[in-house]
Amino acid sequence: MSDLLEPPGREDVTPTYYDRPLLKGPNWGWSVVTYLFLGGLMGGLGLIQLLADSSDPNERMLKRTARVSAFILAAANPAILTSHLGRPERFLHMLRIAKLKSPMSVGVWGLVLYSGAAGANTIRELAVSGALPRWMRFLAPGFLAPLQALLGGYIASYTGVLLSATANPLWSSGKRHIPAAFVASGLTSACALSNLLSILEGNDRVTRRLERLEMIAGATELAILTHFEKHAGYYGKPLFTGARGERLRTYTRGVGILAPMALNILGTVLPLPKPVDAVRGAIASVLTLVGGYILRESMIEAGKDSARDPRAAFVQPA
Amino acid sequence: MSQATGFFTDTTLCIGCKACEVACKQWNELPSDGFEFTGDSYDNTSELSGTTWRHVAFIEQNTADEAGVHSRWLMSSDVCKHCTNAGCLEACPTGAIIRNEFESVFIQPDICNGCGYCVVSCPFGVVDLIEKFDPHGSRYNLASLVEARREENKTALQGSGGIAGKCTLCYDRQKVGFVPACAKACPTDSIQFGNVDELRERARKRVDTLTERGVAAQLYGADDVGGGVGPLNAFFLLTDRPETYNLPTAPVLPSTRQPAAYTAAAVTVLGLALAGWMIFRNE
Repeated sequence: MSDLLEPPGREDVTPTYYDRPLLKGPNWGWSVVTYLFLGGLMGGLGLIQLLADSSDPNERMLKRTARVSAFILAAANPAILTSHLGRPERFLHMLRIAKLKSPMSVGVWGLVLYSGAAGANTIRELAVSGALPRWMRFLAPGFLAPLQALLGGYIASYTGVLLSATANPLWSSGKRHIPAAFVASGLTSACALSNLLSILEGNDRVTRRLERLEMIAGATELAILTHFEKHAGYYGKPLFTGARGERLRTYTRGVGILAPMALNILGTVLPLPKPVDAVRGAIASVLTLVGGYILRESMIEAGKDSARDPRAAFVQPA
Repeated sequence: MSQATGFFTDTTLCIGCKACEVACKQWNELPSDGFEFTGDSYDNTSELSGTTWRHVAFIEQNTADEAGVHSRWLMSSDVCKHCTNAGCLEACPTGAIIRNEFESVFIQPDICNGCGYCVVSCPFGVVDLIEKFDPHGSRYNLASLVEARREENKTALQGSGGIAGKCTLCYDRQKVGFVPACAKACPTDSIQFGNVDELRERARKRVDTLTERGVAAQLYGADDVGGGVGPLNAFFLLTDRPETYNLPTAPVLPSTRQPAAYTAAAVTVLGLALAGWMIFRNE
């Protein structure tokens, strides 16, 4: 598919219209980038709050941390998204219909439902810990924990689907890779955030497990991105070549995946003293979060460049 | 017979007068694009946008052989294609973009919330955002954008967020039985308006006539353009490859990628959830 555009000399034989763009690029800025990043985080936290075992005191604490932080993000995210709409009250127009064909529509409803589940589970945590009246824990029946995880899986998925189901040549050439990479990146970020928060709370007994999961998700993300680069060919150039490619390699792959992975392996094999290990874990977590943000930012910005290239839009990815 | 109305734009008849552009701007009260000199032949409009719903392209071609230099000047008035399966309509999360009784793709300005998802979902790069927009203005509410009124509306428009804009196929004119402004103004019948079935019939005859005269002509969008988009209600007669006119040779309906995208995401979610379960389970 991409080799249609690849033969040498193609640029000479394909006439363009004064090199004018054929497609329109997104007008999305930092707010949408942040929205995509937080969506991934929320999705991953949905899984972690389910995995953490209530019978273990340390994991009990992790469960609460994951639920409360997921709820805070779920509350903040619509505010960030609507700031991009200019007149925030127009967000409500999204709630007048539900449309399966539109990832934006299904995603908004997924977000609304996720916020509900995360809110109820947070109330339960606060009721159990005594911050709210104890009876309020009954507002969150047990099935809401797997439900939040399920909706989380969707929230982490749909941001990638939303990009790949557009006419943008770069995004659509990654119809399988981008959703998969965003899911994996969402989980690495969520592991990193809950690890960071746990370290700050002094709950260092959950670090190893979170870091193991983070490494598996990080390796998955790396493999998907590497395969995407090969698969995308000409369409992938705005993301993988030039200054933006350099930025993606340095921050998402190097700083965001490989460096934290090295630090996490170091923490596993070396018997570091507790305070040193806490600092190591915190640094690894922050780096992972930076990498996750840069992945979303690179994808949006490279999409703008991709839309400017008429040659990428003549034969659109299947 | 289909109830759909549309445009047949016969580029062999276009003389590049831009009357369509002007008529469209006037009827729909769309603001000017400014007076930027591009140097691209006679085309200073450059592209369709949220406030430019007809765009005349000018293509100058020169080839040389023993007999001398042969020059050809192609002109073509581009417009929203009003696709059978419209990417913008499918993507719209508010239901602002609808298919009306004339089977045209229409953006309801009071419903649109300016999210911009239709903009990236159009395989032809037609829809764009109108940055400033007064939802309480007149008719299409675009009068507030006219230069003279821009100053006085400045405060009201700031932070209004904008909406998406594109050709309405003159929905308001069609409702009262008028021909769309561009087709009405076209002095050479390069833009023909009518029932799409009749237009297709007419277009095929025109291709036959031109072929007899030795002109290499082809229709773009009269039949299915592929990629799930289907036939276009606004289609074209071209005398060169579609790329020459900045039209995609192989457009794809964005939503057709969703099954693959969701599947890839679901497989990743399940795989990582399984890994998580194995790490967190108690031996």
